[in-house]
Amino acid sequence: MSGLQWWCSAQTAAWTSNPRPFPGVWVLVVLLAVLHWSLRRAGGGERIQKETRAWFGGVLALWIALDWPVGALAGYLASAHMLQYLLTALVAPPLLLLGVPAGAWRRLASRARTVRALRFLTHPLIALAIFQVTLYYTHLPSVVDGLMVTPLGSFALDTLWLLGGLVFWWPVVAPVPQRPGFGYPLKMGYLFLCTLVNTLPYAFLTFGELPFYGIYELAPPVGILGPREDQQLAGLLMKVGGGLILWTAITIQFFVWFRREGEAEGPAPAA
Amino acid sequence: MKRVRRSTGGVAGRAHAIVVFTACLGLLSACRVEAPERSEAEERARTTGYRGILLEDTDPRPDFVLTDARGEAFDFRAETEGKLALLFFGYTFCPDVCPVHMASIAAVKRDLSVEEQRRMSIVFVTVDPERDTPERLREWLSNFDPSFVGLRGTEARVDSIMLGLGLPAAIRDTTAGPDYPVGHASQVIAFPPGDGFRVIYPFGTRQADWKHDLPRLLKK
Repeated sequence: MSGLQWWCSAQTAAWTSNPRPFPGVWVLVVLLAVLHWSLRRAGGGERIQKETRAWFGGVLALWIALDWPVGALAGYLASAHMLQYLLTALVAPPLLLLGVPAGAWRRLASRARTVRALRFLTHPLIALAIFQVTLYYTHLPSVVDGLMVTPLGSFALDTLWLLGGLVFWWPVVAPVPQRPGFGYPLKMGYLFLCTLVNTLPYAFLTFGELPFYGIYELAPPVGILGPREDQQLAGLLMKVGGGLILWTAITIQFFVWFRREGEAEGPAPAA
Repeated sequence: MKRVRRSTGGVAGRAHAIVVFTACLGLLSACRVEAPERSEAEERARTTGYRGILLEDTDPRPDFVLTDARGEAFDFRAETEGKLALLFFGYTFCPDVCPVHMASIAAVKRDLSVEEQRRMSIVFVTVDPERDTPERLREWLSNFDPSFVGLRGTEARVDSIMLGLGLPAAIRDTTAGPDYPVGHASQVIAFPPGDGFRVIYPFGTRQADWKHDLPRLLKK
C-alpha cells in the first residue's frame, strides 16, 4: 500500500477518492512564492500587480498539475499525465516568466555572461530543439515506465517539463536578452512551428494499436476508460489542449503586434 | 567595489550553474530508465515462441463442472474441447489484477477475426462466490466481453480445482468487513486447442504479449 509520498508517482494500489498529500509539491509552491518575493525585492520593491498575478497564475497551474487529484491520477491514467504535461510545460512557464518583475530583468540584463549564455540557450531554434527533444524523450514508453514508478523519477520528469517549457517560452515572453530581429511575426511562426512538431507523438498516442505505457496499461482501473481509450484521450489532449494553448499565445501575439503597429503609426489625421 | 561584486557574482554564477547541472545529472542517473518486464517476455518468445511461460508435456485441460452465470452446469473440458481456453481464477470486487487481465484479453480478442474469436473460450472462475452472485458475475464480465464465461462453485470445490492446477488456494479475509480482499493466483492459464502443453500468463502480461501469443496458440 502507498504511505506518505513526497511527490506523486505511479501506484499499484487501487485508486481512491481520498485526498493524498504530496509535501514536495507544497514545498515547491512555498519556494516559488519566496522566489517571487526575493525577485521583487531585488527589483526595488516596485508595484507589480500584473506581474504578481501572472507569477501566481503560473504557481497555481503547477500546483494543480502536481498535487492531488491530478498528480495522483497521473499515476493511473495517461490522460491525466498528459494534462500534467500541458500545465507544467505549456501553461506555467510563460506565466512565471511574465511574472518576473521588470527590476529583476534589468538586473539580469546587467550580467553580461549570463546574458551571453541565455542568448545561446534561448535562441529560438535552440529553444525549439530543446523543447522538442524534451517532449519526445519524456514521452518515450521506456522513460515513462522507468521514471513514473518512483517519486524521484516522477519529480525528474516534471522538472524536465518545467525547464523545457521555460526554455521554449523564453524567446517569446522574456525581455532579456533582447532580440530585435525576433519580432511578432516570427514569434507567431515559432509558436506555429511548435503546433506542427507535436503531431508525431500525438499521432502515435491517438492512432497506436496497442497501449504504449506499461504503467498505465497495468494500473488499477479508474472509471470507465480502458488503457486504449485513455491513451487516445491523452493524444487528443496533447494535440487539442496543446494546440489551444499555443494558438491562444499566437492570437495574443497578433493582437499585441496589431496594437503596437497602431501606436507606432500614431492617431489618424483629422479630415 | 563594483568590480569586486561583479567578479564574485561571476564565480557564484558559475558555481550555481555547476551545482544545478550536477544536480540534474544526479537526478537523472538516480532514476532507472528501463522496462524490465519487456525484455523478459520478449526473451521467452525468442526461446519458446511464446511471451507467456510455456509448460510442456502437461496433462490435458482439467475436467471439472461448475455453474455458469445463467445457473446452468458448465463442463469445462467438454465445453472448451478443440478450442483455445483461457482460464482465470479471480473475483469481481478485485480492484486491480482481475479487471486488468480481463480488459487486456477482451481488447486483444476484439482485434482477432470472427473465426479466431469463435475458436477461443475465456473462462473466469470466481474465488468469491459469496459476493459474486450470478447476476453480478454476468454484469461484470459483460463490461469486458459478453462472450466471457463466468463460473461459480463452492469455495472448497474451486480451491480443489486450483490446487489440482498447481495454484495456491484463495485466501478470503472476511474479518476485514464487507469489502474484504481475496488473495488469489494472478495468472491466466492458456490451454491450446490440441492440449499437450499450457502457457502461463502472470500479472504484468500486456496487450502486446496477448497479441503476439493468441494467434500462435490458436494454431496449435
